[in-house]
Amino acid sequence: MSILIDILLAIIMVYLAIQCLLTPRLIQSVFLFFAFGLGLALAWVRLGAIDVAITEAAIAAGFLGVLFLDALKSFAPKVSVKQDNLEDIYKLPRRNIKSLILPRVILVLGLALFLFIALEAVWMIPDGGGLTASAEALLPQSGVEHPVTAVLLNFRAYDTWLEIGVILLGLLGVFVAGGIKLYKKPGASKPDPMLRQVILFVTPVLFLFGAFLLYIGKTGPGGAFQAAVLWGAIGILLHLGGKPIFAMIPRWLFHLILTMGLGFFLVLGFLLIADGRTLFEYPPAYAGLLILIIETLGAISIAAALTAIYANLNQMEEETNEVEPTT
Amino acid sequence: METYQIYSLTSAILFIIGIGGIFMARHFIKKIIATVIMGGGVFLSFVSFAQRDAITFADPVPHALVITGIVVAVASAALALALARRIYQLTGEETFTNDK
Repeated sequence: MSILIDILLAIIMVYLAIQCLLTPRLIQSVFLFFAFGLGLALAWVRLGAIDVAITEAAIAAGFLGVLFLDALKSFAPKVSVKQDNLEDIYKLPRRNIKSLILPRVILVLGLALFLFIALEAVWMIPDGGGLTASAEALLPQSGVEHPVTAVLLNFRAYDTWLEIGVILLGLLGVFVAGGIKLYKKPGASKPDPMLRQVILFVTPVLFLFGAFLLYIGKTGPGGAFQAAVLWGAIGILLHLGGKPIFAMIPRWLFHLILTMGLGFFLVLGFLLIADGRTLFEYPPAYAGLLILIIETLGAISIAAALTAIYANLNQMEEETNEVEPTT
Repeated sequence: METYQIYSLTSAILFIIGIGGIFMARHFIKKIIATVIMGGGVFLSFVSFAQRDAITFADPVPHALVITGIVVAVASAALALALARRIYQLTGEETFTNDK
């Protein structure tokens, strides 16, 4: 019986993925992507990976979906602007279609062959036993009770540290691509009573739920990243409501918030080395406390970075309006 | 057939769909979505093998790697999106064309 659910879920995911890439309209594509992300989250629940499911639903489906939706705003209305060129747009593929048939056949054949190899490889993967036993043996020393949190913030703290760095790098890249105009306060934007009520109601709930996820990460599914997305959602909501949070605080405070997760990790690592240990080898007595501090600071930093990525991408479009498409 | 086997086979299919999408799709946003789907396939295979190696709980190391990986994939997709929007803003192109 339960195997049927899995088969159904697998079929739905494959269908959504194909449909997402084949559908002609971008907006359908983005909404199918939301659905695909949530289907993947369900698959992870079926596989017993609740942490991954929360992260997927929150970041990959939710946050990234919002970024795609936001991007549609700048891509979509241009079609009507370009009406003069519409003939050119439709002529080009038609002229080339014959020369495209052979590459497509080759591509499909290659993909089919690759699919066969991939299925074979996945089917034949040798049973290595995994690291469950060693993780379980060391769990009492890690300072937390939930194995995934122990791996994320203690056993493989390197990964998490560098991951916060990668998010910051992504933010820097978005800054570079998006121009320097940052977080200018929007002019007299029309107040939307509905949005205001939603913000007033949702912000405390999001904050509390994020804090709960952060704290519960010690004993169960949850943790810094899941909390960070919920807190980042607060920043995005405030931005949408005409209160861009980073335009209101001083620049140095913004930079401090962005970098403190990465910075605290780094300072802690060096202090541990100075103490004669290896990088990120916490003393077992303080491990629980240290992990909680790292998670809190990291979550705030990631939330700030996600908000800043959204805010910067969102404001790219304002400059776009003036640029005429050159052909 | 075990639960994890279904998902590991699905992961291979999703990976191929992603690769196909990267070649076939024309619009930037669809190409980026295709890379995310491809990444989803990779993560699914990790987690399905974590379930196979479960003793008292599923193997936590792949779970942690996948959580890290999802966030990194989102950061890179956001960067790709910023570049795509910038290209569109500067040239008005929304696909890669060889015509110029």
